[in-house]
Amino acid sequence: MDCPTTKYPTIDDGGHWNWQCRWVATTTMRCEPEGSKHITDICCRVGVFSTLTNSYALVAVGASENFYSVFEAELQDVIPICRTTIAGTRIIGRLTAGNRKGLLVPTSTTDQELQHLRNSLPDSIRIQRIEERLSALGNVIVTNDHIALVHPDLERETEEIIADVLGVEVFRQTIADNVLVGSYMALSNQGGLVHPKTSIQDQDELSSLLQVPLVAGSVNRGSNVIGGGMVVNDWMAVTGLDTTAPELSVIESVFRLGEGAAPGAINTSMKETMVESFY
Amino acid sequence: MTWKDIQPVPTAQEFIDIVLSRTQRRLPTQIRAGFKISRIRAFYTRKVKFTQETCSEKFGNIVSSFPMLADQHPFHRDLMNILYDADHFKVALGQVSTAKHLIETISRDYVRLLKYSQSLFQCKQLKRAALGRMATLIKRLKDPLAYLDQVRQHLARLPDINPTTRTLLVAGFPNVGKSSFVRSVTRADTPVEPYAFTTKSLFVGHLDYKYLRYQVIDTPGILDHPLEEMNTIEMQSVTALAHLRAAVCFFIDISEQCGYSLQAQINLFKSIKPLFSNKMVFIVLNKMDLKTIEDLDEEMQIELQNLVKSGDIELLKASCATQDGVQDVKNLVCERLLTERVNQKLKAGTGSNGVIGSRLSEVMSRIHVAQPLNGVTRETFVPEAVKGLKKYDKNDPERRKLARDEEEANGGAGVFNVDLRRDYILDDSSWKYDRVPEIVDGKNVYDYIDPDIDAKLAALEEEEERLEKEGYYDSEEEMEDESEVEVLQKAEYIREKHKLIRNEAQMRKSLKNRAMLPRKAIKKSFSQLEDHLDQLGVDTEDINLRGRAQVRETRGRSMARSRGTTEDPDAMDVDNTLGPRSAKERLRSQSRPRERSMGATNRREDGVTDETARTKAEMVAKLGQRKRNRMAKAGEADRHIGATMPKHLFSGKRTMGKTSRR
Repeated sequence: MDCPTTKYPTIDDGGHWNWQCRWVATTTMRCEPEGSKHITDICCRVGVFSTLTNSYALVAVGASENFYSVFEAELQDVIPICRTTIAGTRIIGRLTAGNRKGLLVPTSTTDQELQHLRNSLPDSIRIQRIEERLSALGNVIVTNDHIALVHPDLERETEEIIADVLGVEVFRQTIADNVLVGSYMALSNQGGLVHPKTSIQDQDELSSLLQVPLVAGSVNRGSNVIGGGMVVNDWMAVTGLDTTAPELSVIESVFRLGEGAAPGAINTSMKETMVESFY
Repeated sequence: MTWKDIQPVPTAQEFIDIVLSRTQRRLPTQIRAGFKISRIRAFYTRKVKFTQETCSEKFGNIVSSFPMLADQHPFHRDLMNILYDADHFKVALGQVSTAKHLIETISRDYVRLLKYSQSLFQCKQLKRAALGRMATLIKRLKDPLAYLDQVRQHLARLPDINPTTRTLLVAGFPNVGKSSFVRSVTRADTPVEPYAFTTKSLFVGHLDYKYLRYQVIDTPGILDHPLEEMNTIEMQSVTALAHLRAAVCFFIDISEQCGYSLQAQINLFKSIKPLFSNKMVFIVLNKMDLKTIEDLDEEMQIELQNLVKSGDIELLKASCATQDGVQDVKNLVCERLLTERVNQKLKAGTGSNGVIGSRLSEVMSRIHVAQPLNGVTRETFVPEAVKGLKKYDKNDPERRKLARDEEEANGGAGVFNVDLRRDYILDDSSWKYDRVPEIVDGKNVYDYIDPDIDAKLAALEEEEERLEKEGYYDSEEEMEDESEVEVLQKAEYIREKHKLIRNEAQMRKSLKNRAMLPRKAIKKSFSQLEDHLDQLGVDTEDINLRGRAQVRETRGRSMARSRGTTEDPDAMDVDNTLGPRSAKERLRSQSRPRERSMGATNRREDGVTDETARTKAEMVAKLGQRKRNRMAKAGEADRHIGATMPKHLFSGKRTMGKTSRR
């Protein structure tokens, strides 16, 4: 059980704005900056500045290419990665929601951005601009390719659009009494990570609804804003740099990333580690 | 632990220099005997007080920056006691603190004396005395200050040991391979040399096991003699053993290569056994490559077995030279330690009645894996390309080229500009860089983009074709008869005419910035009249002739003078109607100059009787105009009131020479 996370990151000399992506298991990685401190903000809030699905990835247009390259290193020639802004901002992960079949963007998206997205993504992916008062779609919608959980106050039309464009069943839900389901949950077709204070009963209910295993966990050294701290699809996850090894192991297990990772390990072989690190 | 950032402690001499030069630099230095005595007193009082304040501040900082022994964890407290001698440490800090108080007393006394001084000289002497006494006090602190600085340096270099975390403690006789073990399981660079007491202080390394970090503490070797005889180096080990809740790995060198017999090592274990209470203990037999347990004689084997008989001690085997068993030892010890700690935590989190505490229940909810009830596995969509993807390695020279590399090659961040269009997925890749207008004719192009435009166009074309085929466009209607055509033509003509008339009327009515004139005053040329009448179908010949005739008649004076003698039958005479004039009259008219138009009256003289009256009237008129002129009025009807404070005359700065211009 010797995990390769133990090695300290090698610090390259003199690289300002440098990012390294650090491999933890086969497919989970942490964004890692070097030098300049203010990028750390991005490195931890991966889910704010990017969107990842099984058929495409969106990455914020940044001052340097390091963040983009973290995704590029793993997804080059696999799925299209698109640099974009939404409504002129970089917080695209919180403003958009999408899955394999489609992408939803808020009403504040400009025509040019919409055109850019349309040109960058294959025609098989439907892109739809939604007129919705709760415009941070990433915060109010969490979805995989089969099912979506949404904010309870979302409009009925929006709900229908989500069902049509993303091809999913839509349910209004809260997570640990938080209405921002997108912020407090990360979901793939293989598993889901929810707010650390979600009760066992809620977890079981959500799990039965979503038909995937769920675990309550955290990212970025105890942050409960899971949606903002990581992005995940069926074969990879990107988490913030601050994420600790036990947190990463939970993510790997529940999303079945890497060889032989299974959610069952969390309360069997890794139980002791969990108790020791979280108590 | 904030021991790394204790400020350096100056030596006594440096301290005096700092304090006195600060007084000199920060306070005024000019004083004269001629000044008021109150001013002189204030000057020197300030000097004394300032020096005292500086000293107090500096001493206060020193005392507060060092750790208070009473507040420390017992391990750190004991460690400091061993390394620096707690008494010595406390005394040194106490001396500094006392000096601070003494200096405050001195300052108070001399300030009081200064109040009674009568001259500059007296004041100066008192100040000198005060500062001198303070400096003497500081000089006496020479040793404590030097000691404290050494302590500071040593504290900063102490390893960062967390007494509460998961800890492996490595202990044993000198030279049995403790440091080698720490070296091989952690990245700590503990010095390993083939002589005893290579390790003279505690060393800390870290290792990871099951995603958790463990600290491994390498202790100096201990010799088997009573506690009182142990030296500082050994005592550090003992402190660690006594206070850290850790898994203890007691190393034994059965090859006796370390220079101590196996029996001696076993005895040491027995004598320090009291320190192991409430701890997990493992006996690690090291240097197994040199001598295995089977090579030992019977007695020793039994002796070793006796050690572990009680059951809570385990016997492990390793060889740091060949690395055999080292990882096994590490994993086993870590596993046991983890289990032990988890059990303790679970016990602590559960109440005596078996109710799980809130904190523990939170953890339990985090290790719960919620599985869907009826076990449907959701379909996943992992592209085939992922499976064949070579793992990206930053150091591989043949790695995939990333945008970051490209950026680096093109001037780095901030210089390189990303080509967002390069990855467009379009039907024809040459379209990527087409310039597409965003706004055309004031309309947003995107608003008119219809995703179904192709389908709609196709539908329209299809309908057109169908209609054509059905002969919808074949039937051409023909005009029925001539009369209808004529009526239509006339109607068209009338409409045209109406339009023209309307236009003209509008043109006429628009004033175009000219005065509105009565119709009589509007000049209309003869040709216009003629045209109009022509259009109406009236013969204009007669009118034309008459008009010409009249025009000639109205001319002021005929070109040829009509004289009685040269009477032309065609000529017209103005006075014709008046009848024949007398010859005298005619002659008179001929001699008179040509008639000139004349005003009815001379306004200047109208209503004024004589010259004096007129001058008077003129004076009055001038007087009446005086005010108007002064106010720059256009006339008596001018009611304009100009700006009372023109902005340009009253705003803005006035620099040199601006006043007169305004």
